[in-house]
Amino acid sequence: MIHDFGIVWSERDLLLSGLGNTTILSALSAAAALLLGFALTPALMSKQRLPASIARGFVDGMRCVPFLLFAYIVYYGLPSFGIRLDNWTSGLVALTIYNAAYMAEILRGAWAAQPREPIEAGVAFGFSNIGLFRHIVLPPLLLAAGPVIGNQMIQIVKDSAFLTIIALPELTHAASSIQSRHYVPFAAFITAVFLYWGLCLVIEAGVGSIERLAAARR
Amino acid sequence: MSGSDVLAILQGAVVTVTLSLAGILIGLPIGLALAVLRWADVPVIARAVAVYVSMLRATPLVTLLLLLFFALPNIGIEIDPISAAILALVMNTAAFNCEVWRAGLMNFPKDQYEAAQSVGMNAGLRFRRIVLPQIVRGCLPGLVNEMSLLIKVTPVLAVVGVVDITRAAVRIGAETYDPLPPFLVAVALYAPIVFALVSLQRWIERRQSKAEAAA
Amino acid sequence: MGENRKVLDVAGVSKRFGDLEVLSDISFQVEKGETICVLGPSGSGKSTLLRCINWLERPDAGQIYLNGVQIGVSGGGLVMNDRELSQIRTHIGMVFQHFALWPHLTVLQNLMEAPVHVQKRPKAEVRDEALALLAKVGLGDKRDAFPAKLSGGQKQRVGIARALAMRPDLLLFDEPTSALDPELVGEVLVVMRDLAREGMTMLVVTHEMGFAREAATRVLFLDRGRVVETGPPERFFSNPETERARQFLARYAGDTANGRRGA
Repeated sequence: MIHDFGIVWSERDLLLSGLGNTTILSALSAAAALLLGFALTPALMSKQRLPASIARGFVDGMRCVPFLLFAYIVYYGLPSFGIRLDNWTSGLVALTIYNAAYMAEILRGAWAAQPREPIEAGVAFGFSNIGLFRHIVLPPLLLAAGPVIGNQMIQIVKDSAFLTIIALPELTHAASSIQSRHYVPFAAFITAVFLYWGLCLVIEAGVGSIERLAAARR
Repeated sequence: MSGSDVLAILQGAVVTVTLSLAGILIGLPIGLALAVLRWADVPVIARAVAVYVSMLRATPLVTLLLLLFFALPNIGIEIDPISAAILALVMNTAAFNCEVWRAGLMNFPKDQYEAAQSVGMNAGLRFRRIVLPQIVRGCLPGLVNEMSLLIKVTPVLAVVGVVDITRAAVRIGAETYDPLPPFLVAVALYAPIVFALVSLQRWIERRQSKAEAAA
Repeated sequence: MGENRKVLDVAGVSKRFGDLEVLSDISFQVEKGETICVLGPSGSGKSTLLRCINWLERPDAGQIYLNGVQIGVSGGGLVMNDRELSQIRTHIGMVFQHFALWPHLTVLQNLMEAPVHVQKRPKAEVRDEALALLAKVGLGDKRDAFPAKLSGGQKQRVGIARALAMRPDLLLFDEPTSALDPELVGEVLVVMRDLAREGMTMLVVTHEMGFAREAATRVLFLDRGRVVETGPPERFFSNPETERARQFLARYAGDTANGRRGA
């Protein structure tokens, strides 16, 4: 067993590059999904029926489709329409679009729970448009939604593992490769599990500090 | 896509539903047991459960499945894809269910529990007659949510060769060089199941908030 | 015989929460049929004392005996386990400040739950007795209602009936009317007064001075965790012996005159 871990240690470069890919992929798609979510949320809450129903259809649709299937569709299905993406781009696109729906729903919920008065006060003091959004609306919204967004980021990290099926060299793929070449399944995958756990603990620590920031301001 | 192709995907649906049900039905009580162990603060075991739940919630299902499928034979336990799949599903969903149950237990009103103590109910009676009937109601939305999430991760079982909806669709796509139609059929099978569960959850939540408002 | 009339014997009970000594060397006895009202300012440890008696809180020192049997410590000197404590608790009834009814059961089911499942009494007998108790507290028509539909005063009367259904030797009341709107206090105090008159052994923590004056056989005055004064209500209210009791009564004299509850 120790010998097995020794083999894993000797392959640490591969594992670390897998972890790096997982982290970069998750971070990029989380950021992109959040931005897309910000664009979607107004449509979701719109009083006009067309944008609202399109947005609602998209969000509900993504909620009902398994991510792995969606990733398959993006990678294997899009070429039927002439869009051929490599596995990295497919993975990024799939993760981003899928989670944009969840982010939009999270932001909508957080926005609905926000008190209106501070914003009215902001308008009364002369804030408008971008300034209003940046200084008055956004900070409390992010503080309130922080924990839920953090949970979604953990979800994104775990979804990224699915992309091993399209041969994206993330962490699970690296562990798989090590185990298939050296026959050290337990050592390889347990190490991957601990690395995922560590990554999630980092995200949870970040969420924790946002929660403390929020609590101090209550 | 021919009729027999559609049939193959439907057969995959049977597998998906069966394995999902197995995971849900086994994972619910195990999750409750884990939550009770933490709530009762059994020395050592409560900490072990906390660590287990934390790790399982952070582990991607595909990684867990590969770990079980390849590592168990290595230490002498032969395991077939279906058993590995069910084991992975149960381990995963039990950890998430544990947190849902635990939230219900921790939010349980202390004075109702003390009233049960004061009339001489022992721990077993208190839990069975007073705590459990009420937390089942409170935890239902979270548990149904977890059920819908479980169904959405079942495609991972294709990775170890279990022929569920996704693997059937992938195989047909590979054979016909036309991957999109079987994928869309797959979506058409998953979506109603998940949508039904999500709607059920929303209906339960609405009913409960109405009941609370009326009280 | 004199000894057999002693229902509760509290000897040297102390309890601390962290650095704070909430109860210091509390000793008193309750004879059968007595109604003892425990009075005192907020933070004097009254509720903690009550909760120590049925070991909802565990005393740090002292002994408590119910009808001669020690609560919390078994014959061998070991701390009682949950099962042994539960056995003893069937002889002590408790009425809670916030009623603590079980919301998923009807009023009648609330009353029947423990006698059937803990005391293992036959259902028909328990049912008859429960209905009689509900009639006694004036809630016979509410037997199939759920607690959420009742007013505070009604809930508390159900709470009292539920405690009585166990046929306890001693009834503990933890500020039973403090959570009630003023108009609802009276209906609960009436029930409690009748119980006292019928000879129930009661230990009541309360701010209702009028009730203490009328129904108590003895008053226990607690201040900062100690029994400062004890005696019959006529003497305590008109001629308190200690300065602290005098200060306390001075604060409450105006309040009871105006019908207002103290802090």
